[in-house]
Amino acid sequence: MAAKGLSRAKEVCSQRPAVAKGATARGKKVIGYPCVYVPLELLAALDIVPYRLYGEMREPVTEADRVLPASFCPIMRSCLDCALKGRHDFLDGVITIHSSDPQEKTARIWQSYTTLPYFHFVDMPGTTRPEAVDYFASQLKGLVTTLESLSGKKLSADNITKAINAYNHQRSLVQSLFELTRPSPPLLTGTEIVQVIKAVMSLPVDEGNQLLTEVIEEAKARKQKSEAQRARLLLWGSTTDDAEVMAVLESNANVVFLEDCGGYRPYRGKVSTAGDALTALARHYLTEITCARTFIQNVAAPTKKDYHKDLHARYGYLKSVITDWKVDGVVLLLVRYCDPFAFEVPAVKDYFASLGVPATYIEYDYTEGSLAPMRTRVEAFLETIG
Amino acid sequence: MSTGEKKRVINRVKAMYPLRAKVDESYLRSQEAIKAGKPTVWAMLNFCYGDPILKAMDIEVVYPENYGAALAAAGVARGYLDRADAEGFPTHLCGYSRANFGYAARLMELGGEPPPEAPMGGMPKPLFLLSSVAVCDARYKWFQALGRYLDVPVWTLEAPLPGIREFQLEGCYEEMVKLSVSHLRDFVTFVEKAVGRKMDWDRLDEIVNLMMEINRVSHEVNELRKAKPCPMHSRDFWSAMPPALFLLGDLKESLQLYKNLYDEVAERVENGISAIPEEKYRLVFAELPPWHSLDLFDRLAERGWNFVIESFGYHPPPPVDLSHVKDPLERIARYSLQRMVANYRDALQKNVVAGADVYIYLKYVSEWKCDGAFLHPLVSCRSASTHLPHLANILMERLKVPSLIVEGDIVDLRLFNPQDALQRTEPFEEAMEHYRRVRRELGFDW
Repeated sequence: MAAKGLSRAKEVCSQRPAVAKGATARGKKVIGYPCVYVPLELLAALDIVPYRLYGEMREPVTEADRVLPASFCPIMRSCLDCALKGRHDFLDGVITIHSSDPQEKTARIWQSYTTLPYFHFVDMPGTTRPEAVDYFASQLKGLVTTLESLSGKKLSADNITKAINAYNHQRSLVQSLFELTRPSPPLLTGTEIVQVIKAVMSLPVDEGNQLLTEVIEEAKARKQKSEAQRARLLLWGSTTDDAEVMAVLESNANVVFLEDCGGYRPYRGKVSTAGDALTALARHYLTEITCARTFIQNVAAPTKKDYHKDLHARYGYLKSVITDWKVDGVVLLLVRYCDPFAFEVPAVKDYFASLGVPATYIEYDYTEGSLAPMRTRVEAFLETIG
Repeated sequence: MSTGEKKRVINRVKAMYPLRAKVDESYLRSQEAIKAGKPTVWAMLNFCYGDPILKAMDIEVVYPENYGAALAAAGVARGYLDRADAEGFPTHLCGYSRANFGYAARLMELGGEPPPEAPMGGMPKPLFLLSSVAVCDARYKWFQALGRYLDVPVWTLEAPLPGIREFQLEGCYEEMVKLSVSHLRDFVTFVEKAVGRKMDWDRLDEIVNLMMEINRVSHEVNELRKAKPCPMHSRDFWSAMPPALFLLGDLKESLQLYKNLYDEVAERVENGISAIPEEKYRLVFAELPPWHSLDLFDRLAERGWNFVIESFGYHPPPPVDLSHVKDPLERIARYSLQRMVANYRDALQKNVVAGADVYIYLKYVSEWKCDGAFLHPLVSCRSASTHLPHLANILMERLKVPSLIVEGDIVDLRLFNPQDALQRTEPFEEAMEHYRRVRRELGFDW
């Protein structure tokens, strides 16, 4: 019997390339993407399967050393290393996006040292101003042009609407998934969620939605355990792509909310189906994904500034998470050299302090060797919050 | 820094000195202007994008990036870096930003008065902050993070940067212009509200024209440096560049000073005068120099190393005729975009897709006839370092030119060892000699 729900998620995670190759064997084009800012709706509407590219913590970086300095985002170094070792050769192409310096700079190297038939770099503005949204929409139009050429199909209004609806459904399902971490103890662990999200990002949208539906049903059917109360943590950071990292955080606590790109962040809100689809996608991706890379203007005071209002404009969406998920503490978990998030650390700590929630900053270098010190840091933090 | 004796070997261009003096003059003038109640802004280097607008609005501008370098050169950065560490900023962040966080924390601790230990009178509290998304994430995340210390607004300038191939897609360039012009128009409104005055559009028009003309002359000076022997060393370029790059002081005066520079360098070319006593090797330098250890270049000059071209980001864009563009904001936008766009077209022709900052060094090395590249990756500045390994590969692959890679940092002196760099010169000279022979065998003309 074929695996379902959480077993299926685990299976997909352990065989991601094989799953993608299956789609290739069925005659589908498969396109890799290393960042959640790539609007997957455009791929789905042209019957292209998106495949999230991750680094590999257990793989020593060797090939990327030739082309990138050591003091650079270790996730993107690892991702490129996998590409240079031919691990992504089954792909029909790669889409990268200007979501951060490492993404943009790795894209150039990637394009220079690999020979995939398709490569597209999408430029992305730094602000959310109206002219920035328009420019981003024009960049998405360019992406459509090259994707149409790759797929041999034209993007129809009907297909893009269907794709937006399918991904909006996926957003709703992930939001429902996180409802299951609200109870105490939660019905799903953070470790399980990392695996589910990773599996979903490796599958065509309908299969991902099916998997999410199964996981939600399975978790809801779980009996509420009566176990000793464990601390409830919020994880804030760039991305978590390895279940073992989450297992370290959860050895004596529950991570009930993952505010990162391996968790809730890519699934916040919904794309509007009214008006021009490219503008709607541009607006959604630019404004709803709460990555530190985007400059948020403090609209409350355009020519003066109040630090606390500014913090609220930048992180206000986290206030209800803290209360609704009954968060006891926050772990700010970053890989070394993740500049956009690293600049945020003192400010986001100030914000959590204003809400009365303790927070700690932990940095790691995306190697297995960093897990033991991470465990020590987490244990020390848990002791301080009792 | 210690590289032994302090003997000056580089034959400095005399017309450079008045241009270099404009930096100190500019700090002094800012201090006086601020005392007189004139608004001051902290800005990132914005590649002639926001500066002409600030200048037309008669706003004093100081650049924390430059001030970070000044703190390092004065040997006082350490205390500010330590303060930034104590404030909770991760230690791997941009050294300039960390020095600035420490400075801002001290500034606010002193009620907005510049710290007494700050060199050149320090940077006064600004009216607003002008950041830019160009070049790196740090240059806007840094100013956003300053909100912890400064209760002033931040404007972030957009800087579109499509891929080299994607730039060829229909309408891409015009969309870049549209974004830039619309964005600048909103920025003007923002500045008008901040200072409580309206823009003088005629003045802006004149400033934009002067800016383009200053940069055109500066570009022509660098073209003269293709001569053998090279008449002007990179140190003179770095010393002379600030008035063009930051629009310092009176622009008509700057224009005359750059014309004087051009005349002197042209005269040197005519008379075969070199920037160093005996030019044995011609080198390109990438990217940011070790500001705190510049006499290293005198020691290298003693060995016959002439640095003939350098630091792409500091160079003016290739000249472009925009006389048909009436709107000064559109002229600013098109001129600023020219820095990338001109190189994109060339890069695609040469099938270099790794970005303008890689392509341009191929151009430099082949047109300025360089024997070697001195690459200076910086531990805390990823934007000036990330492309360097690929650059070393492509210079060797395409032009058979070797690279010497010497690590350092923009602020933290402990991370740069000039003695180590000097010890590596002899083997590198052997490599440059070897590849000179290889190039000749392959039919290159240098």
